[in-house]
Amino acid sequence: MLTNKKAEIPMIQLTQETRSGWCVVGVRGRADAEAADELEGALRAALELHPKVAADLAALDYISSAGLRAVIQAARAAQAKNIEFAVCSLSAPVQKVFDMSGMHHIMRIHGELPC
Amino acid sequence: MLTMLEEVVLLAVDEKNGQLRSTREFGTAYALVGALFFDLAMARKIDTDTETVHVIDTTPTGNATLDRVLGEMARRTDLTTVRGWIEELFLRRQDLEGEALASLIERGILRHEVSKLLWVIDVERFPMVDKKRQQHVKLRLAQAILTDEIPDTRDIMLVSIAEPCGLLGYVLSSSELENRKQRIAMLCNLETISRTVTAAILNLDASLRQTMTKVV
Repeated sequence: MLTNKKAEIPMIQLTQETRSGWCVVGVRGRADAEAADELEGALRAALELHPKVAADLAALDYISSAGLRAVIQAARAAQAKNIEFAVCSLSAPVQKVFDMSGMHHIMRIHGELPC
Repeated sequence: MLTMLEEVVLLAVDEKNGQLRSTREFGTAYALVGALFFDLAMARKIDTDTETVHVIDTTPTGNATLDRVLGEMARRTDLTTVRGWIEELFLRRQDLEGEALASLIERGILRHEVSKLLWVIDVERFPMVDKKRQQHVKLRLAQAILTDEIPDTRDIMLVSIAEPCGLLGYVLSSSELENRKQRIAMLCNLETISRTVTAAILNLDASLRQTMTKVV
């Protein structure tokens, strides 16, 4: 039943670096049900330690509903802690999914990284 | 924890007299199929994207209703779209409402009563044994809709299923619903499953209107 290009897109890869007061979590590959916990965990871990967190989705090729829920849960955690959380540099396929879902109504989405 | 299907059916029970409120019969049937999909997604058995549904784990959940549908989905490799599956399950739906009610009775949340209307017609009621469960569901819905905070993803799903069922009117006043119309629409749009359920209901409504026009 797998009809997307799962085999061609690598599993999720996460990086973390600090730039100009921002913790940037880089997300690469595919964010699906298998990767959702890992993605949410990485974003939540960054939110525990930093006052400003940016999720860099430039290298994210695919996001499923489970991946979107992971981002929503992270944004919710940031809001509860009053931490600045920005989702940035969406790749074209991910931008399409965010647009369809209206994600911009509940979180800040930037064309570029804020740092 | 209750399943999404059980929470939605529990919400449909009138807390005063135990009667089942069903305001939009076909809409409710579609929405219950949507609730089933959300339960499978929350159990990490299926995943969806903008159009497609993927079975990712076929090990049983322990819930008979979910496992029956999961088994069907795993067997039918020809059907891959969310829309296709929602239509398929809508057409071949068994008594999802009845199964959820049976589970709520077994859990001690509702009890089953049958009385006679005019000494002939059986009238079923489901009085509440544990009122807190329904109050908790209503509270979560109210918080998700009336505040501007980002709701828990489970509560986003709950709003997006309760709305097409016409059940939000039992939680909030009509003026509250009117004031938060945009917020409700925004929450309902976040999930592929609920967008597909809404589209299916609109499509069905249009077909019914067309049929009625031809009849008239």
